[in-house]
Amino acid sequence: MLSWSSTESGTPADIMAITEEAGDAGLPLGAELIAFTDAIAGADDAALVAARDALVTVAGEAFMIDAAAVVANFEMMTRVADGTGARFSEEGADHRAALGDKLHISGFTSAH
Amino acid sequence: MIVRDDLVEAHRVSLAHVASPGARLTAARRVQIAEVARDAYLAVEPSPPWVRPFGDPALDVAYRIARHAGTITEQWYEQIITEGMHPLDWVEIVGVVIATIPPVAFARAAGVALPGLPAPIDGEPTGREAAELAPAKLNWVPVAAPADKVASVVQALSALPDEWDNLWRLAGAQYMSDRQMDDPLWNRGTLSRPQMELVAGRLSLIRECFF
Repeated sequence: MLSWSSTESGTPADIMAITEEAGDAGLPLGAELIAFTDAIAGADDAALVAARDALVTVAGEAFMIDAAAVVANFEMMTRVADGTGARFSEEGADHRAALGDKLHISGFTSAH
Repeated sequence: MIVRDDLVEAHRVSLAHVASPGARLTAARRVQIAEVARDAYLAVEPSPPWVRPFGDPALDVAYRIARHAGTITEQWYEQIITEGMHPLDWVEIVGVVIATIPPVAFARAAGVALPGLPAPIDGEPTGREAAELAPAKLNWVPVAAPADKVASVVQALSALPDEWDNLWRLAGAQYMSDRQMDDPLWNRGTLSRPQMELVAGRLSLIRECFF
């Protein structure tokens, strides 16, 4: 979805940034969004406050709220997928396997 | 801080849904499951995935989905079902967990007060299930018939229409609707679509969700 939407919008993103410690995926505010997402997924409340404040400073409160909403959505969707054993159809499996190899995520329990 | 009205309402409705009688579980049981899910999500030092902390299959399943969803295997699902849990009970537990975590996750992320869980509403389970169920190839759990005609995440909770409705109501407010998803340029005037997908991909990676 990142690859498709970024290409369609004229700013092709570097999907490898999803797996890297640093980077911005070639997107405006990409680094701040990655830092915010990482902080939400972590347990360090002080780090979360810092990441949230940094995002609000550069992008505004409404932007931060919508980023938090997207995180909440994927805290939900990941559990729907993993909790029901969701799998790709045969048509999509090859593409997804290739992407998994590229991103080095084929070893996830949920990939099997 | 001003939070969009549609997002506030979707989260309020989701927690009210948790505290209402489900298809197979009473509201009191659903709230008990939701409390486990909320606490598991927020725990600083959670139990490891292989521990079943409650000795109560429904609560153990809720805990693992809430905290260690990426470690769940089909073998573990089958083990729980073999122990006596009905597959639709499993589906309802997933529905309760994913109705509870988004409002909590959003509140913690945005720095607003964590929502409380409403008091459970009296009443018997509704028995509301899909008119016809079918085994699926794209999910472990049974789904509404016919199976495997739509994506696995779309059919995942279809056996229990009220859980399915709540899931997609939340998705529409937090992310986007099905219709909006087809437009790569759609956005709310804040994050661009690629920025939304970057956040989605990063969170999915951290949660070790291959899907």
